[in-house]
Amino acid sequence: MIEPFTDVVPSFFGMLNQGPLTLTIFLHTIIILPMFWIYKQEKAKLQDK
Amino acid sequence: MANENLSVWTSIPFWRRSAAWVTGFASILLIWLTFDTMRQISMGTDNDLKNGVTKRVPAPTVINYHIDYKMSQKRGHEVPVIGKKEPFFGKEWSPKEAKELLHLGKLTSQAKNCMNCHTLLGNGAYYAPDLTKAWLDPAWQKGGAMQAMTGKNTTEEAMAEFLQHPSKYPTHARMMPNLGITEKEAKGLVAFLKHMSSIDTNGFPRNFSKTVDQFKAGGTNAH
Repeated sequence: MIEPFTDVVPSFFGMLNQGPLTLTIFLHTIIILPMFWIYKQEKAKLQDK
Repeated sequence: MANENLSVWTSIPFWRRSAAWVTGFASILLIWLTFDTMRQISMGTDNDLKNGVTKRVPAPTVINYHIDYKMSQKRGHEVPVIGKKEPFFGKEWSPKEAKELLHLGKLTSQAKNCMNCHTLLGNGAYYAPDLTKAWLDPAWQKGGAMQAMTGKNTTEEAMAEFLQHPSKYPTHARMMPNLGITEKEAKGLVAFLKHMSSIDTNGFPRNFSKTVDQFKAGGTNAH
């Protein structure tokens, strides 16, 4: 499933770039995940009020 | 419970924090990507060439080496292969000389507006042939039609001769106009083209070798 790294200059983003969408999906995922945490914190705050 | 219907979606602090997180992360990512790209496109050194270190953009002294373009099964496209040393205009160029020659070539390519007709590394017009891998075009190699036409014995001399008197040589319907390129500028331009052909462009233009094979089999154009 994971393709070997083939680019000339080693790069973290080059490694993530497995295909046309992988980098986009990865970056969106790590941006969205902490928002669940923010959501839960805010919910807890509202419930405490 | 009184709080059963409370909604986080209408909470301003939630959206404020989310926006701050997304904007902050995206800013850091963009800065990181900028430095990552700079590392990718920075030019190699003469020592990299001597030690066989592969860089996307090799040092100007790459003009002292034979450049080949081979299919890489691993990467799924052609990659430039820097081979043995070969004389360029009959001599070996020092790092300083090579850098100056390449700089002159780049300035000339801008002054004469090559991109008004040609394409360089994907930028420019589509009126005249793509020049990204022009150095590797078999028409300019030994036995090629363009080299034979100019009556020169090497690729660089043939290209330099053509660049100085393009209107003298019939190419095809869209003939290159005479741009008043001097002998020195022509040498610079050829160095610029040779260096450009050694840049790893992730296989751009696609299927170059295929069109070269077609050309050798009697096709019309290697581009």
